[in-house]
Amino acid sequence: MQFPIRWIALAVALVLVVFGVVLAVQTRSEPSVPRLVLEHGPVPSFSMKSLEGKPITSAGLKNKTLVVNFFNSWCIPCQQEAPALKAFYAEHKAEADFAMIGIIIDDDASTMRGYVKDQAITWPVAVDPNGSASLDFGTTGQPETYVFSPDGVAVCGRLGASSQSLLDTWLQGARNGQECT
Amino acid sequence: MKSRKLVPWIALVIVVVVGIVVLVVRSRPDNSPASRAHRLEQQLACPVCEGQSIADSNSPQSRAIRDDIPRRIAAGQSDAAIRAFYVSKYTERILETPSNSGLGIVAWGLPALAVILGSASIVVAVRKWSRTPRLTATDEDEDIVRRAREEGE
Repeated sequence: MQFPIRWIALAVALVLVVFGVVLAVQTRSEPSVPRLVLEHGPVPSFSMKSLEGKPITSAGLKNKTLVVNFFNSWCIPCQQEAPALKAFYAEHKAEADFAMIGIIIDDDASTMRGYVKDQAITWPVAVDPNGSASLDFGTTGQPETYVFSPDGVAVCGRLGASSQSLLDTWLQGARNGQECT
Repeated sequence: MKSRKLVPWIALVIVVVVGIVVLVVRSRPDNSPASRAHRLEQQLACPVCEGQSIADSNSPQSRAIRDDIPRRIAAGQSDAAIRAFYVSKYTERILETPSNSGLGIVAWGLPALAVILGSASIVVAVRKWSRTPRLTATDEDEDIVRRAREEGE
């Protein structure tokens, strides 16, 4: 009768080992590419106001190659990224199919007005007072940048500061219907 | 005399019934909007930090979700629909409790499996012990005991 007990003990040990291995390989990794981009999701519907009080809506940006940048005044990578965004925007702002907006994440409008002025940011910056846009995009931090093709599909993007050359590559990819991931 | 014997049993039944009623009433969830919001905040994990629920976390995303939950409740969404929305944005890792599919089955199933295997082990062990023949004392054993007793006296 020792035989079945041994087998039961062995089975329990085996299950525990398998469970341990499964847990060990299930380490949580933070993807730098947002889920919306990985899944090539559509532009989330949004309706916000700019820092100047002008409407910024997803409907108003339809058929554009759209760059969306979530940022705020206190995040250091956002500050580090600002020169690249400025150069990128200056290079493309005159192009008819191009649109770029910033969406404030976790910062107040008055602080952001000062920051936008100091940084000489000229692209429209939207206020997202209750974080709805942030949730609809599924942001996991800041800065987080998304590039949408003219047909409204998230094709490129990342969490973290982006360089001008990377943004240029993404823009061309979005225009050509290419995916960055 | 017979009815007196029944009194403790009646008292026991009353205590058990009252206990069950109290447990049932107290375990019924409070479905006020504030309670639902608090419950959901505890059922959802902060999507950008480790080991914290939405209720405990102070990350921008958690605060946005805390603000968002009451709006969804006010809009008439069910708890399941609200959880499903956040899962659609942040995957199932936003759920504090494992799901009923995938790896979640292992998390739910392992304790049950452990109980089943443990019970089976106990049953097998008890059967084994019960089949072991009881030893009977030989004459020689009884002599040893008798001598020991005599020496003790």
